[in-house]
Amino acid sequence: MSKKKMLGPQVKQLLSGVSDHGSAHLSEVETDLAQTALLLGEAIEKLGFSFMALHTAVSKEHDEIDFVIHSGFVPDASVDRLKNIQLEIEQHINTAVTCLQFQDLTSQLISRTMQRCEGLREVLNVLGVAGEDMPQDSETDDIAFLLRETTSRLEKQSADLKNLLRKAVHQKHLDSGDIELF
Amino acid sequence: MAKTILAVDDSGSLRQMVAFSLKAAGYQVIEAVDGQDGLEKAKNQVVDLVLTDQNMPRMDGLTLIKSLRGLATYQRVPILMLTTESSDDMKAKGRAAGANGWLVKPFDPQKLTEVVKKVIG
Repeated sequence: MSKKKMLGPQVKQLLSGVSDHGSAHLSEVETDLAQTALLLGEAIEKLGFSFMALHTAVSKEHDEIDFVIHSGFVPDASVDRLKNIQLEIEQHINTAVTCLQFQDLTSQLISRTMQRCEGLREVLNVLGVAGEDMPQDSETDDIAFLLRETTSRLEKQSADLKNLLRKAVHQKHLDSGDIELF
Repeated sequence: MAKTILAVDDSGSLRQMVAFSLKAAGYQVIEAVDGQDGLEKAKNQVVDLVLTDQNMPRMDGLTLIKSLRGLATYQRVPILMLTTESSDDMKAKGRAAGANGWLVKPFDPQKLTEVVKKVIG
C-alpha cells in the first residue's frame, strides 16, 4: 500500500474538519455582525428621530414661554399646552434612553465576534505547530498519528469555543424587553 | 428619605441610563461595575433594591444573587435581573437563585420606574 493511500483518510478528515468547523464559526461571525449592523442602524435612526422631535418640542416650549412673558399673563390654554409639551418631551427622552442601550447590546456581540476570531486564530496556530513538529523524514505511522491528534485537538477546540461563546444577545430590535415579577 | 437602588452592570452606558431613569424618579442609585464590586458595595450599605445584569466579569449575576441571599441582611431585599438573557431556562435559574423578577434589555425608563415602584414603593 502506498504512503499516499495510507495517509489519505487522515488528511481528508483533517481538511474536512478545518473546513466544516471554520465555516460554522465564520457563519456565526456573519450572523453576529449582521445583528450588530441591524441594531446600530435602528439605534441611529431612532435617536435621530428623537433628537429632532425633542428639538421641535423644546422650540414649541420656548415659543409658549415667550408668549407668556410678553403677554404678561398665563392663560389656561398655555398651561395645558406646556403640560402636553412636557409629556411629549418625556416620551421622546424615554425612547432615546431605550435606544441608547444599543451600545451595551452591540458591544456584547462585538466582544463575542472578537473572541471567536481569536479562537479561530488559535486553530490556525495549532495547524502551524503541527506542521512545524512534523520532521521531514517522518514515518508514515508517525504522520498518521500526528494528523489524528491534530484533528482531535481541533475538534475539541471548536467545541470549547462554541461552549464559551453561548449567545446571550438575541435582540434584533430596540423595542423594550419583557418584564416578569416572580 | 429616598430609597436606594444598587445597579450592577459591566456596561458603563447601561449603568448611566439606569441611574438617569431612576434618579429622575426620585431614587438614589449606587453603581457597581460587576458582581464582585456589587457584593462589596452591598455589604457596605444595605440597599432597598438590587438591579443586576447576568453576564459580567469576575462574578456573574446569578452568583451575586446567591451570595446576597447568603447574607442575613439581604434575605428580604428585592433583587431584579436586568439582562439580555430571555430564555425560560435562565429565568428559572434566576428564580431558583433568589431573584424576584426578570427584566429583558433594553428597558423603557417608564416601565422600569413602574416596576421598581411596584416592588419597593
